[in-house]
Amino acid sequence: MSEILRVEDLRVYYHLPQGVVKAVDGVSFSLNRGEILGVAGESGSGKSTLALALAGLLRPPAVIESGRIIFNGLDLTRLGEGEWRRLRGRKISMVFQDPSTYLNPVYTSGFQVAEVYEAHRGGRISRYMDLVKDLYRKVKMADPERRVHSYPHQMSGGMKQRVLISMAIAEKPDLIIADEPTSALDVTIQAEIIELLREIRAETGSSIIFITHDLALLLEIADRIMIMYAGKIVELGRSSEIREKPLHPYTRGLLSVLKPERKQKLASIPGSIPSLIDPPKGCRFHPRCPMAMPECSRIEPKTIKVNGRIVSCLLYEG
Amino acid sequence: MEDSLAWRIKEAKKKRLLEVWEAFKSNRVALVALSIIVFVIIVTLIGPHITPYDPYDFDLRKARQPPSREHILGADELGRDILSRLLVGARYTVGISVVSIAIGASLGTLLGLISGYKGGFSDSLIQRVNDVLLAFPTILLAIALVAFKGPGVSSLILAIAVSFMPVYVRLVRASVLQVVVEDYIAAVKLLGLGSWRIMLRHVLPNVMSPVIVQATYHMGLAILVASALGFLGLGVPPPTPEWGSMIGTGKVYLFSAPHIVVFPGLFISITIIAFNILGDGLRDALDPRARALLRRF
Amino acid sequence: MSLVNYVIYRLSQAFITFLGASLLIFLFVRLLPGDPARLIAGPEALEEDIQMIRAQLGLDRPLYEQFATYMVSLLKGDLGTSIKYSTPVLDEILARLPYTLVLAFTAEALAVAAAVPLGILAALKPRSLVSQLVSVLAVVGASLPVFWTGLMLIFIFSVELKLLPSSGSGSPKHLILPSVTLAFFLIGNLARITRAAVMESLASNHVVTARAKGLSLGKILTRHVLRNSLIPILTVASVQLGALLGGAVVTETVFAWPGIGSLLIDSLFFRDYPLAQGVIMFTVGAFILINIVTDILYALVDPRVREVLWKTV
Repeated sequence: MSEILRVEDLRVYYHLPQGVVKAVDGVSFSLNRGEILGVAGESGSGKSTLALALAGLLRPPAVIESGRIIFNGLDLTRLGEGEWRRLRGRKISMVFQDPSTYLNPVYTSGFQVAEVYEAHRGGRISRYMDLVKDLYRKVKMADPERRVHSYPHQMSGGMKQRVLISMAIAEKPDLIIADEPTSALDVTIQAEIIELLREIRAETGSSIIFITHDLALLLEIADRIMIMYAGKIVELGRSSEIREKPLHPYTRGLLSVLKPERKQKLASIPGSIPSLIDPPKGCRFHPRCPMAMPECSRIEPKTIKVNGRIVSCLLYEG
Repeated sequence: MEDSLAWRIKEAKKKRLLEVWEAFKSNRVALVALSIIVFVIIVTLIGPHITPYDPYDFDLRKARQPPSREHILGADELGRDILSRLLVGARYTVGISVVSIAIGASLGTLLGLISGYKGGFSDSLIQRVNDVLLAFPTILLAIALVAFKGPGVSSLILAIAVSFMPVYVRLVRASVLQVVVEDYIAAVKLLGLGSWRIMLRHVLPNVMSPVIVQATYHMGLAILVASALGFLGLGVPPPTPEWGSMIGTGKVYLFSAPHIVVFPGLFISITIIAFNILGDGLRDALDPRARALLRRF
Repeated sequence: MSLVNYVIYRLSQAFITFLGASLLIFLFVRLLPGDPARLIAGPEALEEDIQMIRAQLGLDRPLYEQFATYMVSLLKGDLGTSIKYSTPVLDEILARLPYTLVLAFTAEALAVAAAVPLGILAALKPRSLVSQLVSVLAVVGASLPVFWTGLMLIFIFSVELKLLPSSGSGSPKHLILPSVTLAFFLIGNLARITRAAVMESLASNHVVTARAKGLSLGKILTRHVLRNSLIPILTVASVQLGALLGGAVVTETVFAWPGIGSLLIDSLFFRDYPLAQGVIMFTVGAFILINIVTDILYALVDPRVREVLWKTV
């Protein structure tokens, strides 16, 4: 399989008056064409910042401190706003968490989708309405003829998410970044949207980065899963491996929350994500880790490969 | 139980007042504005006792004299000392405005409370009348009232109070509707307290901050209206040294003696600016959301 | 529900408010302490004169009868006869109205033309000098009394520089000082509102979507930022315009501008109270109408408002 995206030691910091927030702090991974990579983590783990960085949507005070994002052989961290503009919506697109606020209330949904074509192909908006209707059929929107003329407030959450997905797939991009695309929807709609994303991958061959706090969901749809904690990757591996044999104590904690019937030591993971301005020394997870050893508070674990998987934990070092 | 509840509310309020003061204190410009206002209020209270000259004493030989060592702000068209007239005039311009807004805000708050808390017939009656009052531009309502009641301090106060009152009725009614659905009001209702007692002791304190902020802005606006009425010759009749009427009678000498117009205008402007800045400062200090927003930039 | 029905609904509502306002003004004149006949006649008038004026104005008849006659003629469009000019009040108002309209619209246009770009620039660069200027203007502009800034402008441009006429209405030049005076009073508030609205739009999520689509900066600004900031800007501008139509009284007086504001003041000094009453009624009517126009503009700008408004019908 060919590689479409490679992220190398990416660091994204927020420069706030209270201090520097290291939201993404040395993240490296790669993504293959047509692959679905799931990114899981609690809020504050840096997963949404990572998404914005990959789509070139970071705004001050967030800054890419160092690292590279190689997309189709192109280093995205060196792009100017003009080059980004031509890339976004066409080669890399994004689906957001809360469809209600990510649509402009004063325009019809069809207009807002057609804007993607207008931005990259030029010409008048009205020329693209038939294409938009085709997209609506593709995303299984009920009554596409009428819905292109609907305003966001006249649509349900599921419909609005289909509008956002239509925008994201309009130009058949190589990479779709979906940041919590289903967490604002109810369960049945969630399942439909997930199914839809799968079909789109099959049809267009787009790679998808699927970001969520819901590990169970990722186990269903992702080819590989990346677990983030406090700005760092703690574990990355194939979904089946993660499910069957999680390596990192944090991953095990997340999984045990999903399977209470197993009666493991961790019913839930006590504590919360540490401050990213002044993260704990050593391993960032050690204050909450049930298997913490004395050296965990001193030595920062390296990222190591175990049987083709990646984990960052002292248990597997030396 | 009501007493312990009241005590808890009192403690919480004390804490909040302290917080508001802390937030306000960090705003230097607002502190300057506050000191200007304190100064103006003091002048309003003791003005007549600190004038260098009799504000009514005219001397045509000194007419339109520009600022000098004797008369630091000059003399007006009749040779009266402008500084003395301004010091006494604060009583009229600022005094009338403060009293009018106090009356208008209290009346409006009371009506808004009744309207919002009682609902029903009294609500619709108050709202209909209020809609009619709101259909008048503020200064027009004031002019109409003053004109038909005849000149004088009391008609000015009535005019300004009535012109500004509708804003409070609307504001307080809206706040009351938000407050009454909260749990603690349901709790005191269950205690079987009379509705007046609930309104005044439990609802009123919770709708006061917007009223205070609005009233601060309105002080400035009332000075604007009062002095405009004075300027138009509809306010306190001469020779009373109201600031606006000093400009109104002095404007014909703009060509030869602009200082007659300039100094009263500066007094009016600075006082109003101070009230507006104080209003901004209070609003920011009272509204934690606005405070957080400001910190972000 | 259609726009036409909505307009009809709002107009009928406005009519009721207007009737209320007429009643209120009627009561002002009759019930406030102070005898209008005596006010009209003046302090040195003889008792017979006062009686005569009272009869002439119908003030000697019972209150309800007075109100009935007043309302009937009002609904016929008859605002009474001016005492000073002996002409119908309505004719007098209509003769002066164009001046007020020209002044109000020029002032508001000047204010919008200056304030909206200022507000946008300030929002794009919140820490810049422009933004600080907006903050200062917002406080100072609305704090200086127009009669004073007007006189100061006259002093600078007419007395010292001898560039512009100080009063009257003969030429377009006469319009400059009064409209600048009014615009200065309005700019700060409008610029501050624009800045706040644009900053809020800029921070909203749908702008992130617009960027993610690859839209150009220009389109993002005009379509997704400015368009969404229009409502607060429109609100303030139209409230200002409404106030100008009735409340340019002071500015018109300063510059001897022959609009309905100075007509009102004249009528008050001549104790021409049918004329004064007529001008006030007319201005209140205009003010109410402006409010309706504003609501209709809202509906045209924001589809959500459109739906809510039309549902209330």
